[in-house]
Amino acid sequence: MLKSQLDYILKVRVPIAAFVVVVTYIITFFVSKPERDGVGYAPEQPINFSHKLHAGDMQIDCKYCHIGVEKGRFATIPSTNICMGCHSVARKDKPEIIRLSQMFMDNIPIKWKRIHRLGDFAYFNHSVHINKGIECKYCHGEVEKMDVVQQVHRLTMGACLDCHRNPHKNMPDLKAQVSKGPEYCGSCHR
Amino acid sequence: MEDKRYWKFFDELQDTAKSEKLKQEEFPEGLKSDKGFEQTQGINRRKFLALTASTAAIFATACSDYRDKGSIVPYNQQPENIQIGKPNFYASTCTSCLNHCGILIKTREGRPLKIDGNPDHPINKGKICPIGQASILNLYHPERLRKPLKKNGKSFNELNWNTLFTEILASLEKASNNGKIVAILSQPIFSPTFVKLIYMFQAKYPTTKVYTYSYLESYSKEQAWEEFYPKAKLSEFDFSRANVILAIESNFLANEGNFVRNIQDFVSKRDINRPNEFSRFYSVETDLSLTGANADYRIPLKADFHYEFLATLLNELLKRDLNYNRAIVEKIQGKFSRFNLEDFASKAGVDIKLVRNLIDDLIQNKGKTAVIAGDSHFYEVHLLCLLINEVLGNSSIYRICPQPSLPKSKLFEIEELVTLMNQGKVGVLFNLDTNPVFHFPSDLGFENALSKVESVVSFVEFESETANRSHYIVPISHNFESWGDYYDGIGLFSTIQPVIEPLFGTYQKEDFLLSLVQNKLERGIYHKYLKSNWQESYFSQEKYAVDFEKFWHSVLHDGTFELKQTLINDYTPNFELFDKIEHRFGTKDWVLVIKKPYFIGDGKFLNNGWLNELPHPITKVTWDNYAGISQSDANRLGLKNGDIVELGYGKSKLEIPIFVVPGIPSSSVVIEAGFGRKESGIVAENVGFYVGKILQFETTKKGYIFEKISLNKINKSYQIATTVEHHSLNDTFYSELHKKRHIIQEGLLEDYKNGKYHIHRPHELKSIVPEIKYTDVKWAMVIDMNKCVGCGACIMACNVENNIPVVGKDQVLRSREMQWIRVDTYFSGTAENPEVSFQTMLCQHCDDAPCENVCPVVATVHSSDGLNLMVYNRCVGTRYCSNNCPYKVRRFNFFDFRSHFKNGLLYKDTYKLANNPEVTVRSRGVMEKCTFCIQRITEARHQAIAENKPLRGNGVRTACQEACPANAITFGDMNDKESELYQLRNHKLGYYVLEELNVKPNVTYIAKLRNKKSEVGA
Repeated sequence: MLKSQLDYILKVRVPIAAFVVVVTYIITFFVSKPERDGVGYAPEQPINFSHKLHAGDMQIDCKYCHIGVEKGRFATIPSTNICMGCHSVARKDKPEIIRLSQMFMDNIPIKWKRIHRLGDFAYFNHSVHINKGIECKYCHGEVEKMDVVQQVHRLTMGACLDCHRNPHKNMPDLKAQVSKGPEYCGSCHR
Repeated sequence: MEDKRYWKFFDELQDTAKSEKLKQEEFPEGLKSDKGFEQTQGINRRKFLALTASTAAIFATACSDYRDKGSIVPYNQQPENIQIGKPNFYASTCTSCLNHCGILIKTREGRPLKIDGNPDHPINKGKICPIGQASILNLYHPERLRKPLKKNGKSFNELNWNTLFTEILASLEKASNNGKIVAILSQPIFSPTFVKLIYMFQAKYPTTKVYTYSYLESYSKEQAWEEFYPKAKLSEFDFSRANVILAIESNFLANEGNFVRNIQDFVSKRDINRPNEFSRFYSVETDLSLTGANADYRIPLKADFHYEFLATLLNELLKRDLNYNRAIVEKIQGKFSRFNLEDFASKAGVDIKLVRNLIDDLIQNKGKTAVIAGDSHFYEVHLLCLLINEVLGNSSIYRICPQPSLPKSKLFEIEELVTLMNQGKVGVLFNLDTNPVFHFPSDLGFENALSKVESVVSFVEFESETANRSHYIVPISHNFESWGDYYDGIGLFSTIQPVIEPLFGTYQKEDFLLSLVQNKLERGIYHKYLKSNWQESYFSQEKYAVDFEKFWHSVLHDGTFELKQTLINDYTPNFELFDKIEHRFGTKDWVLVIKKPYFIGDGKFLNNGWLNELPHPITKVTWDNYAGISQSDANRLGLKNGDIVELGYGKSKLEIPIFVVPGIPSSSVVIEAGFGRKESGIVAENVGFYVGKILQFETTKKGYIFEKISLNKINKSYQIATTVEHHSLNDTFYSELHKKRHIIQEGLLEDYKNGKYHIHRPHELKSIVPEIKYTDVKWAMVIDMNKCVGCGACIMACNVENNIPVVGKDQVLRSREMQWIRVDTYFSGTAENPEVSFQTMLCQHCDDAPCENVCPVVATVHSSDGLNLMVYNRCVGTRYCSNNCPYKVRRFNFFDFRSHFKNGLLYKDTYKLANNPEVTVRSRGVMEKCTFCIQRITEARHQAIAENKPLRGNGVRTACQEACPANAITFGDMNDKESELYQLRNHKLGYYVLEELNVKPNVTYIAKLRNKKSEVGA
């Protein structure tokens, strides 16, 4: 009796339990991966700014506000004076703009929530990609359609390398201008 | 090229088993945790706190939004010239020493990060010494004083700025109403605007007297000059025009005069492409100095024999045809005829052939020779040097030294000040960032006199011996937070502009003094004053097509401004001096030579970790000074490195450990001053020994050489941390010469010119791995050993650029220093008179790098442009790569050294600001090494892509290359056939170190050529 019970546990219960654990782990791992990589992260911002309105409907070029993107590593979050370039005149009556103007007048910098972030050990450079003609959307998604910006793509080393290795598959409309990106460690890590 | 025996330290010369062990084991001590695990067993206070903290951290993490990535805070109003992620450069002037080199401060998002020389500056031409580079650490030092302090009994109370101001103002008024002296004590002042301010101050407080001095100042040199050439301003040699140089105990390549300029001038005559222009350099010295190490002929001679040496030389020279005024020559000859060369040579043990050779050289190059005595030397020695230069007609290669805007005080004036202080006649003493209590010999009694002054006000950045004995401490701004100007008195102006708001809300001292004149404390008042002074004094004197604002901005932009004027110096000598000159004769007694320190300035930089850890150029000692003695003396007295001796001079005594230095003559002791500060901050704690105890003020008037010293062994010892034995390349003294590894290759200039040179190259070597062809850009470096003087500027530049941590003395003792580049010093010949060869060693970026093959996690790999990469986030710290590196250039983070060093000092809020944001800050357990400044290469590559141009090699300059005052380092693309690098890499004097290993290194060394005559001493 005792022997057959032990037999049963070893032959049936343990494998089933192990199977369930492994499968649960694998499923959880893959299902939660985008979430863990930050995909879909759309935090509430201190000013209710809509990219859809500015970049989509009004067709303002990304570079008009993200002035660093062609020149250096950082695309830069626009400083408040860039906002005020238009909004000292435009839509002054809207509540969010009134708040914005007030912060500008009081010299309070705005703490925008960070959405995209790479590891500190990766030295990504915006300008080199933009200057090669690679558009923002390949990493940031269609921001011009978002009211609240969220992360669309995984920004992991695997994602970087995927594009560096197969640029034409990932960016079919840029076949004419881009070739493979560098793959050696030193191009991002130093 | 000759086959000589090279050695780095004495054990190696004596071929002991210890040296073998040192070379074979990178960490001979083995692994030990210095915190000791046993101490943390059980629950003690630290463990309890750690557990509490980690539990709190876990809860905090669990309760927070795990997806939160923080926030980005852009400027409210972004300044127009700031581009986030791109550096801005501002021209300014370094005030770390009195040379006032022009600097270019690199700032990122408003914080200064790196100091380089200003390339537009006519004196230092884009180069800067290690101290200037490391001064950035002083700016961010967490121990900088932040709040004004007022003495209360033995401690200090914090005060607010306005109270401080009114109290100081009141004490000033009280002093001037009572007719008591207001003394201002400062370093020599080179700022014309500040001098004007002082005149204004004097007008308001008429009893003001200004005293200026600098530490280890050579009063004897200036006195000799003023008496010999009464009509001429103090001058120095232009070494770029000197064919023969004779240095007497002079360290002009390391810390005397403007050495950055001297190095550039000196190596301009060491260019292998112009072999006919090589200068010949003789050095006569006690200490083996950096300068002496670069000499073609070095004559070790005890300091008290130097006068005799020069007198003999003079006598011999006068016997030759000098084409000088006959009457004068005969007159001098009468005075010096007793100095006979044969007698002297046998008495002092000097090679007579060598001296004759020197005399021939001096005669042949008459008018183009430089005879220079060191700052520490006797008045009479300086006088003889001047006389020899005069009869040789060398005044043509003199150039005028920078002249302070306010004449320097003489030493007797300092003595007067002390007397006045003791008599209670000094009401207020302003100490403008000097440290007289530490600087002057104890027997002057400055400390005691200070207590008799009614109110002492110290304007300082850091606590100091003097500041702690003051009634008020006024924290002042760092140079990088201040406005100012500089005039060298002979036509060159430069400006000082702030590059950051005062970090701790301090005032610059000029602001405070000007406020005292105007009775109202006001920030930025000196800036306005400076501008109006420039407008009045310089702008309106000339007719400029632009308005003043434009003129001022262009001066600030360039950092310098030159007045066009012709300089005439009247070198009319006064020979009457020699009627009463007292001859000096060498003795058998011990002689003590006090030298200026290499890297800590006047002691102000002793609290700077980078500078303390920079190895001494010759002995590679870090974190200490020592008494250098000869090996024969050490053997005779049974002393070994670190044994403490007691030096006695008159009644004073000093206990200091010895260090055996090759090339020091017997019965000589050499000590570097400036160490041993007791009240300077936690980095400087227990660093070195204070020599002020043994010095006597009376003697220092004549120089810093002390005769009739006693030296006694006492049974104590001390650990000195030297890196000389660390990271040694294994080059055993093989009996079979063909097996020698030829790490150092050098030869004679004469042979090179005759085509007789020979560079050892191994036979054609076969590789077992397929060769990779690099068709595009491939990075390589050439180091010219003819130019390298071994100054260490490259090490400091690398430290600053690449966020190298300071590890501290105990870790240096365990061979764990982290510097990526080192300067190896090899000696050859005897311990008594060695020849010195420097070799700058860094990662060679081998094509077939042995480190790459052994890494189990592929953390070190090769890039397509020929770089040997180190990927920190992959490294698991097996240290196998370091084990396999034949050049011993890999460094391992045994700790997170930033948090390990002095209780996390380097992790304090402000220190973090000094980190280069383009380079990873490595943590514990990670291997690291030179990257060829990959951040700069990447920057250039991205720039090329932005401009749609192909990447060219010559645009990239590594940090070490940029800093090297001698321009010994060339970096670039080896596939670019037009580049300077390509020419040098394929030069016939080029060789690779350890070429026979066939690892295909990418750093080429150009063999050193010595300008010796083959029949004399070669």
